[in-house]
Amino acid sequence: MQRAAKCALRLDLSRAFCLSRSGTVVVMQKSLPPPRDEEEKAMLDSMLRVDHAGEYGANRIYAGQMAVLSRTRTGPLIQYMWDQEKMHLEKFNEILGEHRVRPTLLLPLWNIAGFALGMILTRIACLLAFEGTMSCTVAVEESISEHYNSQIQTLMEAEPERYTELLQVIKEFCDDEKKNRDTGLEHDAESVPGYLLLKTVIQVDCKAAIYILQRI
Amino acid sequence: MIFGIKEKSIILTNFDVLFAIATNIHVRLKTGFVLQVAVQGTVSLQCSNVRRGFHRAALLRLASDSKSDTSVPPPSYHEVHTAGESSSSSAQGESSEDAQPNTSFQDQSGEHGEDYETEEQLQARILTAALEFVPQHGWTVEAIAAAAETLGLSSASTGMFNNGAGDLVLHFVAQCNAQLAETLAEQNNQVQLGQAEAKKTAEFLKDAVETRLRMLIPYIDTWPQAMSILLLPHNIPDSLKHLSTMVDDIWYYAGDRSTDVNWYTRRAALTGIYNTTELVMVQDSSPDFEETWAFLDNRIKDVVNMANTAKQVQATGEAVVQGLMGAAITLKNLTGMNQRR
Repeated sequence: MQRAAKCALRLDLSRAFCLSRSGTVVVMQKSLPPPRDEEEKAMLDSMLRVDHAGEYGANRIYAGQMAVLSRTRTGPLIQYMWDQEKMHLEKFNEILGEHRVRPTLLLPLWNIAGFALGMILTRIACLLAFEGTMSCTVAVEESISEHYNSQIQTLMEAEPERYTELLQVIKEFCDDEKKNRDTGLEHDAESVPGYLLLKTVIQVDCKAAIYILQRI
Repeated sequence: MIFGIKEKSIILTNFDVLFAIATNIHVRLKTGFVLQVAVQGTVSLQCSNVRRGFHRAALLRLASDSKSDTSVPPPSYHEVHTAGESSSSSAQGESSEDAQPNTSFQDQSGEHGEDYETEEQLQARILTAALEFVPQHGWTVEAIAAAAETLGLSSASTGMFNNGAGDLVLHFVAQCNAQLAETLAEQNNQVQLGQAEAKKTAEFLKDAVETRLRMLIPYIDTWPQAMSILLLPHNIPDSLKHLSTMVDDIWYYAGDRSTDVNWYTRRAALTGIYNTTELVMVQDSSPDFEETWAFLDNRIKDVVNMANTAKQVQATGEAVVQGLMGAAITLKNLTGMNQRR
């Protein structure tokens, strides 16, 4: 009981301001309502933690892809998508800091794993068919849009009016990811033999990752 | 069984046998110290329920006297006549009524009093009062019992606290942390309004930890006992939670908004600093704990130094890597391997 009251107190007090490192004061707009109780805070925390880790991982996957593809013709396209993911990551960094959400402990692991995944899968796709270099992207984007969709569903089922801003953010990101996926599909990502295998591997990976991240 | 006890003291006896009947017991202490116990009968053969119900009854609800008249339950209440015959008959008869002493007691009084306090609030009040008796009795159930008596309750109300002394220590820790959070928020407010200067991180951390540790000074003699209570296995989850909340608060108000592994390293560092300083404090005999604050200062300087060194190492490492890459490319150029043929 005390903890919930303290939570509310902390979030209310931090409503109008946050102190940046240099000592200047920044006013931030809150994108989440202050949590009503422990349960809600835990749910929102785990959602935001997973999203943040997801964007971080996507960032690293694109970095891995760029390491392989930067001098090919898909390079600029991947760079564009990577920049979008960087924007998403920044937004989530903001939200996490604002709402005192703990980032996942596995971030260093994510760093390496994401980069390795991006690099290895792209090399494999390259070996199989040059056009299929986007297949990795498409598979990842599809998993991520599915994940965002399920989060949107959860929030809508709970209480759509309460989470309007968060829903907006997630919907926007979901649309961005879908767009990226469609772009990838336009570039014949599916023409890679073994595309289905690649896609399944990545989807299973993502689901496992989300499961772990929700807990750690 | 109807009780009318016209004494100034409340007699508590072991009700295992006789009061298998009682579930709802309302206690009103009138000005003439007449204690009337109205028993609403359902058979509950669970002694612990009964005992707890009676404990609850033995606690004075500190509603006003005027309220005590309205606290009579609605006409559904009736008096059970003899223990013997009602024990079996009322089993079947009133089994439809509430069988839980706790909830129905609260429900019925909840109907009537706006200023009825919850059990948690009452517990908090008792524990806060018990802090005054800690220097005398230590962090023990005796302190809680003494506090209960000063509040006009029976010393048997310590039965409410399943964890005994652990409850008292955890309550104190939570109270101190709440106070610290308030102080930090207030300071933050002042900085935001421009009424105060923002402190540097090291100074902020030092002041925050010092503020928090100073709250231990009134209890410093008995604090080792409290620390050992917090280390008991069943108390460890709660005490860790309090510690991590406090460290998170301090870093948040110090301006930390990191969302990477720094989040963890910073909090781990501050936890280490806080715990070691606390240990130094309990055996410090210098005037106003000067040695403790000096120790704290040094530890914080260490951590800041380490952070700076880490940054320098990283920068140096990056520079070295770039240098190596440059050398490799030069070599490739020299040997002609870089040419596309």
